[in-house]
Amino acid sequence: MPATIEEAALHTRRIVAKPMPRVTDLSARGEPMTWLLGGALALGCTMIIGFLMLVFWNGIVTFWPKQVPVVTLTDGQVVAGEAFRTEEYRLGAEQLKDLPAEIRTRIAAASGFASRTLYRTGNYDIYNEDFRWVSDFQVAKTEAPRDIFFFERLEWGAFVGRITSVDLAGTALSGGDDDRLSRAHIQARARLQRIRQIEHDEIGAANYAVEQDRLRVRRAVLSYGEAAPEVAAVRAEVEKRAAGFKRDYDALAAEAQRLKADDERYRITLAEIGGREKTLKLSDLVRFYPANALGIFDKLAIYLSRWGEFLTDAPREANTEGGVLPAIFGTAAMTLLMVIVVAPFGIITALYLREYAKQGRLVSIVRISVNNLAGVPSIVYGVFGLGFFAYILGGSIDQIFFSERLPGPTFGTGGLLWASLTLALLTVPVVIVATEEALAAVPRSMREGSLACGASKWQTIRYIVLPRAMPGIMTGLILAMARGAGEVAPLMLVGVVKLAPELPIDGFFPYVHLERSFMHLGFHIFDVGFQSRNSEAGKPMVFVTTLLLIALIAGMNATAIVVRNRLKRKFVGSQF
Amino acid sequence: MASTAKTSARFERKRETRKSVLIIDKIADWVIRIGGLMVIVAVFGIMAFLVAVVVPLFTGGRVISSTDKQLEIGDAPILGASVDDYHTLAAKIGADGKLEIFHIATGRRLQGPVLDFGGRRVTAFESTFDWRDVAFGLDNGSVRFGTVVIAGQVITAQQLPAGLQRLDARDQTDGTAVYSTIPGNQFRKIGVTTTLAPPQAVAPEGVAITAIDYHLGGTAERPTKTFVSLDANGVVRLSRAESRVNIMTRQVRTTLTTSEMPMLPQGAVAKKAVTTDKGDQVYVAAESGAIYRFDTRDFGKPMLAETAELLPPGAKLTVFGFLLGEQSLVIGGSDGTVDIYFRLERANAGTTDGFKLVRAHRMEPHRGAVVAFSASQRGKLFVTADAGGEIWLRHSTSEQTMLKLTKTAGAESYRAVLLSPREDGVLAIDGRGKASFWEIAVPHPETTLGTIFGKTWYEGYDSPTYTWQSSAGTDSFEPKLSLVPLIFGTIKATFYALLFAVPVALLAAIYTAEFVHPSVRATVKPIMEMMASLPSVVLGFIAALILAPIVETWISSVLMIFVALPLALLVAAHLWQLLPIDTAVRLQGVPRFAAMFVVLMLTLWLCVALGPAFETAFFAGDLKAWANGSIGTGFGFLFLVAMPLSYLAVFALTRRFAGGWILDQGRALRGARAGAFDTLRWVVSLAAAAVLSAGLAGLLTSIGYDPRGGVVGTYVQRNTLVVGFAMGFAVIPIIYTIAEDALSAVPEHLRAASLACGATPWQTATRVILPTAISGVFAAIMIGMGRAVGETMIVVMAAGNTPILEWNVFNGLRALSANIAVELPEAVRDSTLYRMLFLAALTLFVMTFVVNTVAEIIRQRFRKRAVQL
Repeated sequence: MPATIEEAALHTRRIVAKPMPRVTDLSARGEPMTWLLGGALALGCTMIIGFLMLVFWNGIVTFWPKQVPVVTLTDGQVVAGEAFRTEEYRLGAEQLKDLPAEIRTRIAAASGFASRTLYRTGNYDIYNEDFRWVSDFQVAKTEAPRDIFFFERLEWGAFVGRITSVDLAGTALSGGDDDRLSRAHIQARARLQRIRQIEHDEIGAANYAVEQDRLRVRRAVLSYGEAAPEVAAVRAEVEKRAAGFKRDYDALAAEAQRLKADDERYRITLAEIGGREKTLKLSDLVRFYPANALGIFDKLAIYLSRWGEFLTDAPREANTEGGVLPAIFGTAAMTLLMVIVVAPFGIITALYLREYAKQGRLVSIVRISVNNLAGVPSIVYGVFGLGFFAYILGGSIDQIFFSERLPGPTFGTGGLLWASLTLALLTVPVVIVATEEALAAVPRSMREGSLACGASKWQTIRYIVLPRAMPGIMTGLILAMARGAGEVAPLMLVGVVKLAPELPIDGFFPYVHLERSFMHLGFHIFDVGFQSRNSEAGKPMVFVTTLLLIALIAGMNATAIVVRNRLKRKFVGSQF
Repeated sequence: MASTAKTSARFERKRETRKSVLIIDKIADWVIRIGGLMVIVAVFGIMAFLVAVVVPLFTGGRVISSTDKQLEIGDAPILGASVDDYHTLAAKIGADGKLEIFHIATGRRLQGPVLDFGGRRVTAFESTFDWRDVAFGLDNGSVRFGTVVIAGQVITAQQLPAGLQRLDARDQTDGTAVYSTIPGNQFRKIGVTTTLAPPQAVAPEGVAITAIDYHLGGTAERPTKTFVSLDANGVVRLSRAESRVNIMTRQVRTTLTTSEMPMLPQGAVAKKAVTTDKGDQVYVAAESGAIYRFDTRDFGKPMLAETAELLPPGAKLTVFGFLLGEQSLVIGGSDGTVDIYFRLERANAGTTDGFKLVRAHRMEPHRGAVVAFSASQRGKLFVTADAGGEIWLRHSTSEQTMLKLTKTAGAESYRAVLLSPREDGVLAIDGRGKASFWEIAVPHPETTLGTIFGKTWYEGYDSPTYTWQSSAGTDSFEPKLSLVPLIFGTIKATFYALLFAVPVALLAAIYTAEFVHPSVRATVKPIMEMMASLPSVVLGFIAALILAPIVETWISSVLMIFVALPLALLVAAHLWQLLPIDTAVRLQGVPRFAAMFVVLMLTLWLCVALGPAFETAFFAGDLKAWANGSIGTGFGFLFLVAMPLSYLAVFALTRRFAGGWILDQGRALRGARAGAFDTLRWVVSLAAAAVLSAGLAGLLTSIGYDPRGGVVGTYVQRNTLVVGFAMGFAVIPIIYTIAEDALSAVPEHLRAASLACGATPWQTATRVILPTAISGVFAAIMIGMGRAVGETMIVVMAAGNTPILEWNVFNGLRALSANIAVELPEAVRDSTLYRMLFLAALTLFVMTFVVNTVAEIIRQRFRKRAVQL
């Protein structure tokens, strides 16, 4: 027994300080399960990174001009084209039995797989197909002649072959005179531009004026009746103008005719690899280059010019070639209009939830409604937009304001306005949530200070709270824009079309045509991938469009995050 | 002093607030309050609008007006009648061979063309389905064809002849034709034109034709008439008249071939005969209710294929005819029975050609004998009249009685009843010349809750099915609108998507919330959230055009990943356990996570390389052939599926019975030896699980259970596996973000207290954090499910769009959302298909509404509880 306090303390310490056995309880660490958890996260990250890399790589590489090898097959056929992609595939029994023995053993050694390459032979008008599969065992010889050209045409897609002869308004061009050829080509393109400008813009303006006059007469007939004097007066007015229009139209048509005739005289004859020839106008060629004789800078120039064409030109060849400018324009116009509509609706609701509502049943219901709006499938919004906005609201507007255009619908069918309203309804929850967060981040002390200085509630909100919350609201609007740019399902029903004849914003009054159908990047992806003649040919286009769309959306999201972070930095620690 | 007074006077402020500020404040108050509540209006407004568009599907029919007039027509019994599209005129053929025309609204008789039969008596009459072409059977055994056309022509006010008599507010007449006023200051002239061809001998001279059935077919250049005739001796003849028009001389040359049916069995008195457009079957109805079906596919050699007694003994057959499409045979009896029969191929038919008349629909029976019947020229509506004067409008496929038209006072039983061509009127003429006309509206007869959600027996199908097929090429096509395949498709896609997404997202969320360093979390969270911003059209495109072909070629490797990945991670974990504890703790953060990536990459590469070997081992060498059912057994697949279950079973059993002993053994060892012991334990349990699983699979295979045809089946390129993976991209970030937020929101002091008590991070995560956050995690799954249900673009592009009802994961599907997106742009406004698509949208809305509301309530309750902690 310890006698003194010190001894007692030592004794206790010795009892207490007896070392605990060091056990290794592995089940407590749960290492296997932790690895499964981490593996799931790694899988998720790999999925997204792999996906983005796939899209990025395929999109970036698409416009790079590739070599055009000429492949001679074992049976004597010659195939020339860009190597599109290579894959391993399994041969079926019927295909195997026609092959010679040593090839069969080689395939069997590779467990039944062989590799084949898809060549983009182009020349659809001659071959009736764009692509050709060539298996590796079919190849006898591959070469890359320097005089093989790759042509991009206005119609029928790509052409792979040689230039046989060039006829510039009577002067034949000699073989190697590439400079003169490219200059003549540039001139031909400029001529085509001018013809298009005359036909589309100038004659278009004249047609527009004539159509307006026709509608004026019809409106008069509908309001006054067929035999009324007002109608006769309007008709006389229209007659007077009609002569002038006809004169303008004839002059323009003559000029266009002259240019077209001139254009006809510049021709080029091409021959595909099998020898069959085709003669085109020089202006039918969009771009051409000697595929196997390009230097790195030439390739870069072609690459950049293709990107430029993609971003600034209209589509051709059923959307599988050309550019996506109308789609970019349509997406931008619709998104802007959507933001204009959604901002007041979302901000007002968020203000209500945050500033005016007392906690209780009603606020709960409003929050549940907001979450339900967020959870409703987007296609249901499309159905509602079509049934209510387009058919009922639009139909009534047509009856009242545009009865002279009936039975052709103006607002009674999908268009820019209804699509924007539908998407505004869809993205309202995003704006509400972001605005609520922004309003909550404004310190209460500021509100109290303002009220203490004698401002009314609305004055506080307007001059103190909203300006401080503006960055957060901007974040919400940008996120809503990003969401709206990516939604396709509701737009399929309310106003997006495969090919819009005109842009929704143009030079004719009222400048912003809310009833017109428009094109959309997301729908463009769906359309080119699934509704074109050859989805293999459309795939590069779809990848580039996908890259553009993802870049746009990622850009918008990144902007929103940057704005949000700056907001956080501004307000963290700002108390007074 | 004076200066301060002056300055204070100059700078004196008003104490009151300006009026404008108060007014603006009040206005702002109202606007914001109302604006805030508009959200509720929006949600319920959408629902209300959808319901409003859907409700007319179920409203049945209604009578708009009814008139009855006494006609000035002769006494001869009515052989046939027709009415025009606009219910202006009706034409009646009497047994005296006279064609009588009358104006329906007033009953006034008009002058019609005279049909000259050359003194012969008309004994039989029938028209084609559209009432235009007619055939008369005469008492001398010949048949005369003709046309009776009630046609309308639009004329302007200037072309209106003078001296017209006014009949009623709308119509005027010149004695032969009627002029109806139509909008736009125009008139519609409706008149009757007839033609009559020379007689053609069919029956022997002097034997009257008692019944005839007439069909037109062939092409415009070579029209064919097919008709079957019954003569007074009871002989049934099938005849075909083919006309050739000589283009140059415009002469018509007709060749008539006749084939006689074998005599009916003794004692049977044939009453009526019916044939089809192609003349490949002849149905002869005897008075006793028996139907004799002759197979006349070989025109020269008809044979009796089937004898059917379709009515109960004692009942006589009174009504007998086809509906539009010539697949549904309507049988009406003297006991009021109205049944619909199909001719279907049956295995034990007992007939000479393997086909049998099967009763498909039993309609509501009349109280009295059925006396007349008229089929719609557009759909499956038909009208039956009974001896008591009741006229019922019915729809055959949905087995509904749409309208019961009350008989007008004093009417006897009707002799002729007609359903107007546009299905908007019913005309009935009784024996004493009283004509009753009802104007009706039956917009959507084919949809009932039964046809939409239950099995329906459509024409051409062997049995009732769930089918969605909204359009096809022919005019007589019947749209099949059952939502069940679509709802099933949505559920199937959601199920497989969640099966893939929930484990990945939840496990990743737990790891992110509990095990990663804050700097790593700041990198990983945005990466996962980036998945959320991918537009689903992009996901669908990649899934359908890139992923689906790759999966098809490498399917065995893809399936191997599901097995190999968890296995590889577990192996790597056990190897990691062999490390000394200090090293393990030091490398716990980023290096371990990096090692997980490496293991993932290695496993993927391994699966690509070993795919064929995997296929040989479990799927008899060729997965597609195996899935088809052609080779191998289900043993390998069942073994793989049973492995996780048996592993869990072995794990639970070892824990229960040997857990204590294992722990003691493990605690006695140190460092790497403990790790090795644990690895040994794991390998032994794995082997035991494999044995158990093999036993289970063997048992199931031996009792004949084969998963092929159920969960796996024939391989299609765009299948549910691809859709599930692509939807994973869409759903994983949602579940991940919400679950991770829920787990992070658990108060820090709980975590700190648990760790302070000596628990490892793993024990803290599973026993403290997860139970606290369970409702948030549950809400995350529900919201993810809501998103999966509503996903459109991925399903449109990658799911094959086939509305089938199979759980096969290698098969396609058609979901509600994809169906709406594909069909609504082409649906006619306010048609049945349009409203059905709105019903599909309403179903989707209700499904997500329920799921989201439940999730939100749980989430709100969770927030309250977390605050309490």
